[in-house]
Parts: sequence; C-alpha cells; structure tokens
Amino acid sequence: MLHSLNTFGHPAEALYRTPPYVRDEAEIDTPQERDIVREELAAHVRDITRALSGKLSEQEIEKELSSYLNVYRVSLDTAKRSIVKKHGGNPANLAVGVSKTIRELVPGEQSVNLLVRIVAVYEKEVTPQGQGTKKILTGILGDPSGTIPFTAWEPLENPLEKGDVLRVQNAYTKEYRGQVQVNFGTRTLVSKDKPDALPEYKPAPGTGAPYAGKPTPVDIVDLREGASNVAVTARILSTETREVAVEGTPKSVYSGVLADATGKSQFSAWKDFGLQEDEVVRIEGAYVKSWRGIPQLSFDERAAVTRLKGDALPPKAKLAESPRMWIEDLAERGGGVDVTVRGILIDMREGSGLVSRCPECRRVLRKGACRIHGEVKGEPDLRVKAVLDDGSGALTAVFDRELTEALLDKTIDDAIAQAKEAMSADIVRDELADILVAQPIEARGNVTSDDYGLMMIVDQAKILKVDVQAEAREMLEGLEGSA
Amino acid sequence: MIRETAWRVFAGEYNDATLETNGGGDRAPSYVVTPLGAKVNRIFVVGVITDVENIGTDMQPMWRARVADPTGQFHLYAGQYQPEAAATLSKLKPPVFGAVVGKSRTYTPESGTVYTSIRPETVKAVDAGLRDYWILEACRSLKRRIDAMAEAQGMDPLTKEALLKLGVKESVADGIVQAVGHYGKADLSRYTAMLAEALRYLLPESTEARGPEDAAVGPAVAAPAPEKEPAPADAVQETVLGIIVGQDGDGKGAPWDGIVEAAKAAGVSKDALEEAVNGLLDKGLIYEPVLGRMKKI
Repeated sequence: MLHSLNTFGHPAEALYRTPPYVRDEAEIDTPQERDIVREELAAHVRDITRALSGKLSEQEIEKELSSYLNVYRVSLDTAKRSIVKKHGGNPANLAVGVSKTIRELVPGEQSVNLLVRIVAVYEKEVTPQGQGTKKILTGILGDPSGTIPFTAWEPLENPLEKGDVLRVQNAYTKEYRGQVQVNFGTRTLVSKDKPDALPEYKPAPGTGAPYAGKPTPVDIVDLREGASNVAVTARILSTETREVAVEGTPKSVYSGVLADATGKSQFSAWKDFGLQEDEVVRIEGAYVKSWRGIPQLSFDERAAVTRLKGDALPPKAKLAESPRMWIEDLAERGGGVDVTVRGILIDMREGSGLVSRCPECRRVLRKGACRIHGEVKGEPDLRVKAVLDDGSGALTAVFDRELTEALLDKTIDDAIAQAKEAMSADIVRDELADILVAQPIEARGNVTSDDYGLMMIVDQAKILKVDVQAEAREMLEGLEGSA
Repeated sequence: MIRETAWRVFAGEYNDATLETNGGGDRAPSYVVTPLGAKVNRIFVVGVITDVENIGTDMQPMWRARVADPTGQFHLYAGQYQPEAAATLSKLKPPVFGAVVGKSRTYTPESGTVYTSIRPETVKAVDAGLRDYWILEACRSLKRRIDAMAEAQGMDPLTKEALLKLGVKESVADGIVQAVGHYGKADLSRYTAMLAEALRYLLPESTEARGPEDAAVGPAVAAPAPEKEPAPADAVQETVLGIIVGQDGDGKGAPWDGIVEAAKAAGVSKDALEEAVNGLLDKGLIYEPVLGRMKKI
C-alpha cells in the first residue's frame, strides 16, 4: 500500500486508513516515510490544540486522537471535529485539512487538502442574487486517481493555467447534478508546486487508475452499466473510426459492433488495437458505459486484447442474427442492440400518422410550432408510435416513413392527398389504427431507455404468423407427459 | 411513469381474485392479485363479446359487456370517462370477437364478496385467428405462473429473493409472495386443468364440439374423426350444441322450452342438460341473447 502512495506523492492518505499507531513499524519502509507520517499527524495534533485554544495538552490530544483512529476507526476529519466539539471548541477553527485523492472525495467534505494538476480552467462571470457581477474560475482538476470539476469563488493571488500543479488546503466539496465538485472558498489556500510533484495526467476515458485483480468474464447479454474490469470474448461484426473532442483535444475512437452467442453490443476503444472485422478476440479489462440506457463495452490502454482462433465462436452470419428477447429482460438491461421482440401492438400513441417536422431540427411540430424554433413551415412526414406489449413488458415502437408506407400500402403523397380530401389528417391515423391495433408483430431494432421506459426504433417489422395448433399441441403434450 | 404491462390472464383465474393492492400513496397504481400471483393493473383480453347493454341512462350511459374465453367470462364497464371504448361498445353487434385493453377493477358489494371487472381503454373487433393466438399467449403466461407457484409451494420460508434466484421473473415473484400471503396454498390442479382445457380448445379434436360452421372460420380444419373418444361430458355438450342450432329457427336463439324437449328426446337428463349448457356458456360457444333463449356463437 505504501508503495502506491509513494508513486502518487500522497503519504498523508494513509493516515486515516491505517492509523500509524497500530501499524507495524516494519510496514514503513524508509525513515523518510516514517518522518512524513509522524510530521503530518503532529500537524493535526497542533491544529486541534490551536482550535481548543490550549485547553488540552498536546499529549492528551494525541492520546484521544489515537483512540478515535485506532479503536473507533473513524476518519481523521471526523476524529478531529469530534474532539474539538467534545471539548467545547468550534470545529470551524480547524485549519489543517485532510489530504485525499480525487477518487476518495465525497460530497460534503469540510476541509480537504489536494495535490492536483489543472486539466482545464475557464473564467466565468456570475451575478449572485443581491450582489454585483463577480468573476469566478471554473474548470477541471486531475490527479492520478481521476478528475473532478472545481470552482474558485474568491479571487486567487496567482492566475491559474492549464498544466499547473497545485497544493490546495481546506477546499470543500458539494454535490451538483449528481457529481462531486471541489470548491475553493475564503478559507482555501492555493499554492503552486513544481510540475514534477505530480505525474502527468493522462486523459483516459475510464477513471484512470489501473484495475486491481483478475477481470471477470461476462456474456454480452449480462453487461450492465457501471461494471468494470470485465473480460468479453466476442467476434467483431463491424468497425469504424470516429473523431471526437475530449476536453477540447481531438481524439480517435475505434468503435463498432461485436457479438457473442448471447447478443450484440456497441464497443468503443480509446486506443487503436487494430481490431478487424470478423476476428474473434478476448478483451480483458474493459468497462461498461451506457448510451441511452444501452450498456456498451468500452476499453482503453488498460485493456488487453488477445486474438483467438476464428472457430472459437459461431460464424459471423450466425452471430449477426438478431436475438429474440422478452421486453422485461430488455427493461432490466436498459435496452439492446439489434434485438427482436414478438408482441402485440395494443395502442397507438399521439403523434402517429401524418406529422409535420421542423425543417431545422426535425422535431415534430405541435400546433404548427417547434418547441425550439417556434413557428416554422413544417415538412410532412409519416410515422407511427405504438405500444408493443409482449405480456412481460411494454415498449414504444417507432416506425419510420418507409415502414409506415409499407404498412399502409400507400406513399406519403397518397396519404397527403387522402388527408386533403378528408380535410383532416385524422383519416390517416385512423386507418393506421385499424391496421395496427391488436396486431401481433415481430419487430427488430435498437431498444433504448429513459425515464419514460423503453423505445424501439423499428428497423424491420413483420406480421407475426404463429402455428397456434402446433404450439398448443406441444405444450399440451408437455403437460400430459409431466402429469 | 413506466407503462404497466398488459397481462394475458384467463377469466377463470382473474375472477378467482379477491385481493386488490396498491403500493401506498395517493397516485400509486392498484393491482388485482390473482391466486397464482399475476399482479394485474392493465389486462389484455381477446374473446367473444357476447352481450353489450347500457345499464345507465341515455344521458349518462354506462356500457356493460361480457367477454367470454374458454375458461369463463370477463365483465367490462365503460362510462363517460372511457369515451372511446364506450363508443366502440355501443356500436358492436354481439356476438363478435373483440380485443380489449383495460384496467383491472374490483367491486365489493359486501364484505367477503369481491367481483373483478375491467374498465376498458380500447375495444376493437377482431377475427378468430387473433382470439386463438391470444389463448396461446394466455396459456404460456398461465403455465409460467403455475410452474413458479409450484416452486413457491415447496419453499420454506417463501421469499421473493429465493424465487428470483430460481430464475422466476421479478414481475411474477412479487405477486406470488403477495398471493400466498392472502390466499394460502393455491389449488394448482385446478389451474393445470384450466390450462389443459384451454390448450385442447385450440386443437382440431375439440372443434367438433364447436360445430362445423365455426370450424370453417376458426383456425382449424374440421377434423373428420377425433383421435380420442370424447369424454362423456363433451359428448353431451356436443349433442346440446346440436340441439341449440337445430331449435334456432328464426336466428334469435333457441327457446329454452324447445331445448328441454329436444334434450329429453335425445336422452339427456335435465341435470346433464344444465351442466352442458353451463359448460358451453363458459367456453363461449353459446350465449344468451335474451333471457330464456340460447344461441350458438
């Protein structure tokens, strides 16, 4: 453990994890480290003494702090605040914060010390209520454990620049939109350190720190958002290279679709592994992010890619087939790539039939207006939004113009002419409802999810034809056989 | 709000339900929980709409309809707050195959008595092919619950987590725990028999009992000879169905007196006749267009 601390240049981190009083002396490898640990702790003892205005001797405080850390095993920050409170002092008078790495930060830290590099910094003008306009700095801080947004609310002595290494004392954290943020306030001291005080930050799309332990083998159908250090064996079905901007720097993403016998997934590689279409690979040390709810495999330089024999998995044509899934399983996963669902269209939703789209953003107009671009001259389109229910769950299935034209067996121009004659577009919607409602179908496409549930962008659809008698007979035989 | 799944549940199971729950809170959805643990908020039914009646007033109509499946009948009530379903129901001419999507409801006139019904959202006239497909789906759904409930009955203690571990889906596991708490041990043989009956209904062997015309519109080609001797009860039903068709001279249905006479002549006792008529009503093969008349569907 201490070895890794050394690399990160954060010896103080060990203080509240493994209190030095209980630690076996042998664990501390060098006299230098020992000195750092003792020195840091002594600084906290002095800090408490100061906050209590000398009510207690340093020896008593040291003893009490030892008890909090070793017997009750609370964090150093909590221990210090508790001791000051217990003896009638004000914890706000504590001045020496606890050193942490970015990854260890949680919302609500009162006084934390950081050694970080500025990944990005911008000046911003804000106007707090009842006050004049004020300049603040915002940006992103990084250390080898991760990155975090920050805001400096007070003017700093020296200007900050990208790449600067900072020692920050007494910063505090808050949660904003589900993310921890570091704040520099009036009590915060910021000083620049030498650039080599912290290893260069590498913008990795993952969280940066190397994985510990062996990767877990996972089938593609079982990938879930947030999983990390997984191992997947899959065949590459397609590849493409995209350019994206990561924090302002252009970067190549090597993406595509891969599959095993359980399903397909999009993948994004942040390093060029030279993946080729149709080859079978084992990817170890990947992580899972989701895009509109669909879990997808991501990996970067921390991952290892091994090429396997082509016959290690079923052939491409077989894997490219769309797996049939129950909607409740899709709901549990958050969606899926190129899946097939069998169910009944039990309802048609608002906005089906002839619609008008905004020429700017393609959104469907409501009462002749786009919710972004206001009143515009709409362009006609034809589509269906229907509820597809398979008895295990329901999703909204969206059929585009081409599919809708096929369902209606007429073109959009025919539909427009029909609506003009009837002086209402409802006639097209009603005809679609007649055809579709209560219709069993098999639909294939990508399924995404959000707060409103699942949505399938239908790629192919066909009227479901089932040999009811054969299935009934098979089920009945199974029943009689087991009875 | 995630949309509630439309359950495929037979009338026989749905009407056995006496438990209604909600997740607490004013706007939480309510569920009718069946003895097998189907936790139904929305339901999808395809069956024979056998009668539609306005039990309200002309100004404030309340449409009541009955929908028969092979195991029993669903009761539908649609009023002013279900304008589309009410409008469709008012125009239907029973008997007709109908698909219904609706919300589960219970009615408790007195303590200890619970009636289940459906408040329809959508009603649509469909064909026999869809009705058969629905029966198949309802059979699959029923079988899943029978299997899961059999596992649950062997468990001590019964927990949702243990069921999930066995691969029972969350939607079923949740209802099973509630059902066992309310109904105690469900009679699985009753539901297995219901399942077998519904499956047999789909096979050509049973279309004999449905009469030759029905077989022509149904999915099955009329089988010339049943593979097995029909059970005596089926044979009586077949005879009675024939009588009802024969006595229905004017298309308004066979008068009850005529049926009784003809049955007597065919050697069917009054008790056997009543049992057969009830069986045919339950299967949705006949209905009562007006009091005292029976008509084949």
